[in-house]
Amino acid sequence: MLKLKLVVVFLSSLINLLYADLRYDFIKVHPYLNYGEEVYPKECFAILNSFSDSASNFTFCSLINARPIRFCENCVQHYVTFHDKFKELQTTVVNGTSCGSIFMSQDRLNVIQQYHDSMLSVWTKGNCNDCFEWSNKTATIRNSTTKFFKLFNATMDCILTNMDSDKHIVCEKCMQIYVQLDEFYKTLSKDKIGVDCVCMDIVDSMNTTRSIWSKTLNCCNLRRTPEVVFLLCTALIAFLPILFYLTVRFCGPIKDLPNVLKQSRFKQSILRTINSRRSS
Amino acid sequence: MINTSSEITSESTCDTAQLISNDEASTSNCAQLNNTDTQDSDEDIQGSHGVRRRHPIQKIEPGSMNILSAKYESLDYDTCENHLLLDEERKRGYAFVVWKDMARWFIVLLIGIITALIAFTIDICIEEFSNIKYAQLKKSVDKYVMLDKLYIPYLLWVLTNISIVFFGSVLVAYVEPVAGGSGIPQVKCYLNGVKVPRVVRIKTLIVKAVGVISAVVGGLAGGKEGPMIHCGSVVAAGISQGKSTTFNKDFKIFQYFREDHEKRDFVSGGAAAGVSAAFGAPIGGVLFSLEEGTSFWNQALTWRTFFGTVVSTFTLNFALSAYHGHPGDLSYPGLLNLGKMEPFPFQIYELPVFIIFGMIGGILGALWNHINYKLAVFRNRYVGEPWLRVVEACLVAAVSATCGFLMMFLLNDCRPLGEDPTKVPLQLFCADGEYNTMAAIWFQTPEASVRSFLHDPLGSYKPVSLLIFVISYFLLSTWTFGLAVSSGLFIPNLLTGAAWGRLFAIWMQYAFPSMSINPAKYALIGAAAQLGGVVRMTISLTVIIIETTGQISNALPIIVTLVVAKWTGDFFNEGIYDILIQLAGVPLLAWEPPPLAHNIYASEVMSHPVFTLRTVENVGHIVEMLKVVSYNGFPVVDPPLADENEITTYKRLRGMILRSQLIVLIQNKIYNENANTTWSNLQVDMDMFRKEYPRYPSIEQLDISDWELTCTIDLRPFMNPSPFMLPHRASLPRLFRLFRALGLRHLPIVNDVNEVVGMVTRKDIARYRVWRHRGHMGMEELFLSSEI
Repeated sequence: MLKLKLVVVFLSSLINLLYADLRYDFIKVHPYLNYGEEVYPKECFAILNSFSDSASNFTFCSLINARPIRFCENCVQHYVTFHDKFKELQTTVVNGTSCGSIFMSQDRLNVIQQYHDSMLSVWTKGNCNDCFEWSNKTATIRNSTTKFFKLFNATMDCILTNMDSDKHIVCEKCMQIYVQLDEFYKTLSKDKIGVDCVCMDIVDSMNTTRSIWSKTLNCCNLRRTPEVVFLLCTALIAFLPILFYLTVRFCGPIKDLPNVLKQSRFKQSILRTINSRRSS
Repeated sequence: MINTSSEITSESTCDTAQLISNDEASTSNCAQLNNTDTQDSDEDIQGSHGVRRRHPIQKIEPGSMNILSAKYESLDYDTCENHLLLDEERKRGYAFVVWKDMARWFIVLLIGIITALIAFTIDICIEEFSNIKYAQLKKSVDKYVMLDKLYIPYLLWVLTNISIVFFGSVLVAYVEPVAGGSGIPQVKCYLNGVKVPRVVRIKTLIVKAVGVISAVVGGLAGGKEGPMIHCGSVVAAGISQGKSTTFNKDFKIFQYFREDHEKRDFVSGGAAAGVSAAFGAPIGGVLFSLEEGTSFWNQALTWRTFFGTVVSTFTLNFALSAYHGHPGDLSYPGLLNLGKMEPFPFQIYELPVFIIFGMIGGILGALWNHINYKLAVFRNRYVGEPWLRVVEACLVAAVSATCGFLMMFLLNDCRPLGEDPTKVPLQLFCADGEYNTMAAIWFQTPEASVRSFLHDPLGSYKPVSLLIFVISYFLLSTWTFGLAVSSGLFIPNLLTGAAWGRLFAIWMQYAFPSMSINPAKYALIGAAAQLGGVVRMTISLTVIIIETTGQISNALPIIVTLVVAKWTGDFFNEGIYDILIQLAGVPLLAWEPPPLAHNIYASEVMSHPVFTLRTVENVGHIVEMLKVVSYNGFPVVDPPLADENEITTYKRLRGMILRSQLIVLIQNKIYNENANTTWSNLQVDMDMFRKEYPRYPSIEQLDISDWELTCTIDLRPFMNPSPFMLPHRASLPRLFRLFRALGLRHLPIVNDVNEVVGMVTRKDIARYRVWRHRGHMGMEELFLSSEI
């Protein structure tokens, strides 16, 4: 009897355990049934909410400022909030578990991480951080950025105000400021192209300016003279080898052609012996 | 002494050669043996057994490839099993065998490391100097293009090129001519068993390394990969000997490797390590050694060579990664880095396209080879003087710069900045924010240009620019190869091929706009086809390309292309290396004996009157013979019976002795007469012979006093008592296989009673050569000459 009782107690406790487990899973699958209670802390949901808000703001801002690219400059506040909220989500710890671990890496879709990464990659691809001076998580626009845009605006103003007149006049009038802008741009990066580290706002503005300058206005007309001296030089140097080869061909000492060496073979030496016999 | 006898002796049927005979005797390069006043009427009317043989001529027409030079000697791969060797084996036992084996592995390790370090140095120098040069040129162009004075940067470029090339060219032309070119033909000859003078010396290595840096930095259309292979060979030959004759320094180590056979094994490993360092292709290196060189190959050597190549590529990788700032990253396996290729999927219907590419590559390669052959003949005949060769190299450097600058100037092919990876974006006449694509190609090393052609997106280059580039670079590269500079042909041909491959890709895209053509695929196939059409290598080239691009799945397209390129090219002419080897008249033995040649017998192949020595020989006679003939091996025979002076024909073979051994014997005065006085204390062992290896003094350099001439030497302890020999009825293929497989140098031919009737050397066999062109095939007998 005792044995039976023990078995029953054991079984019931087991069922209890199983039931508890099931209940837990049930809540997990249907969070609305048990919203916020014991499984998902309220604090975390609050942070997630604000993170989602910041993300949508940031996305909206990025898309609005896509062309012409002003997205670094105009969306930096949204970016900062977005970034901070994500950090907060990751680091906040409630009851010994961080909110990040509750929401992220739970399934293969991993929505939060995915969205965060893709939005961040746009920001980093554009080297946007490079436009700003970062101190204590707040972004202030760099001096070089301000200076660039000052020059850029001046150039654009110059071109716009003189747009109605003849193209040559535009070129002449704005040449100084344009060259200044161009030179300044080149100093911004090591490779002078700006691919490596200059922020996309600047690169794009510069590309547009250059395109307007040299294609629409056709100002950078470098090929002005036919470079006669250069062409003469190339002709001369290209002619030299021909001269060289003709000289060595017809004037140099001609080596004597090599002689064929006699080989000593069995047949020949037999014939030779017979011959010398005959002659002697 | 045999020539003290009367007239009767010299007219006798004694077929042992006479020292001073009244008719010409031999295949030697000794002038006095070669007086041509004898009648020609009874000679050379026809070759043996229908072998094609030209009518006897006295002079050789320029550019003839049917000549063997009598100057080249063979290497000795046969171990001389004389008493000294037996003594040594007895003394040292198995411990020595184990020790020697470990030493071999250690040397291979060293070869790999040092070859890689040399490659590293060359690579860094080229990269740094090129960066400086092109950055300065860009600055100058940027400055003067605004002032309409483009001739200033142009002349600057020309002058830089000329002065850099001048330096390297002077080194090659005056200091060490054998360091010119890629060095692969020379290494190939060496591994085949031909001694190419000075090819594996330290001086050659230095000239080669400096020369290749100056050639590539000097803007010539050349690469550094071929020279790397040569460098690896020299390193191997140097380290394995444990001494340097140039610096007169003997480290007293590895004496037991001082023989041709061991050295050859190491050199094949060194060449493989060189390939491995050049292309980052360890397996390709092993296969290169197998395909291009070594006639003698075994499992242990393959295994060791593979170890060496892997060490080499690893060391280079490590050093370059550390230099480029991420040590341990290991992303620079070779000098030639084609960049990571994506595995390109190919459809079954693309195989015909690859075949067509192969055919184009074969035809272009054959054309390249033909132009280069004509140039080589011209250079050989008219541009012989060193200073003329230097001038020629400088002119080519100037024209290379001219070509580049004209292309930049005339083809205004502009691309927006930042889309393609360009190191030196030169604006020239392009709009702001754009760069000149031709300038981007010319203002970098050819190797980087290959990478650009392989990896840039489809629209990066205009078809017209590509076409002009292909034509001019094709001509420039074939003009450059063969100058007195050390540079290879791999990179220029890869570049040309990649350019026309990309050109075809663009045309295909125009023709089939609906398909998306991958330019990288066709550029790579084009590069492979062009290179395969020029060098005609198959296995090793395939593996090298697979390993450089890091994609095993590209193997089938590459193999198909290379095989077709080789067959197409072989229809017209030989590979460039074989052309150069044949022009130089090197007696190279092919892989296989000539077909249908079983009816040619040893009695026709052999050189007939043989200079023999008796087992106990008079020093005076030896000295006189060594002075008169240029042979290197002498059969040792039984002394004739005294009364047989008139009727003796041949003498019985007892062994073989080499010229080098005789010289060492005389040098150390190992005479019978002073056995108890002078050399009783002297250690007479193998080391006595090894000490002089590989540069033995000539007989004229020895100081021999009169009393010595009357002494005698007993040759029996020193000669090889059981040389390989064949009866006079052996066929040519049999001779050939014995020679090729064992790497023989001398093969006595004996009659039925073991009497020496003749001697076969490498030149006797190599003069039967098979040719096959334009669908025909045949065998011809080559002439010999001592003047090429």
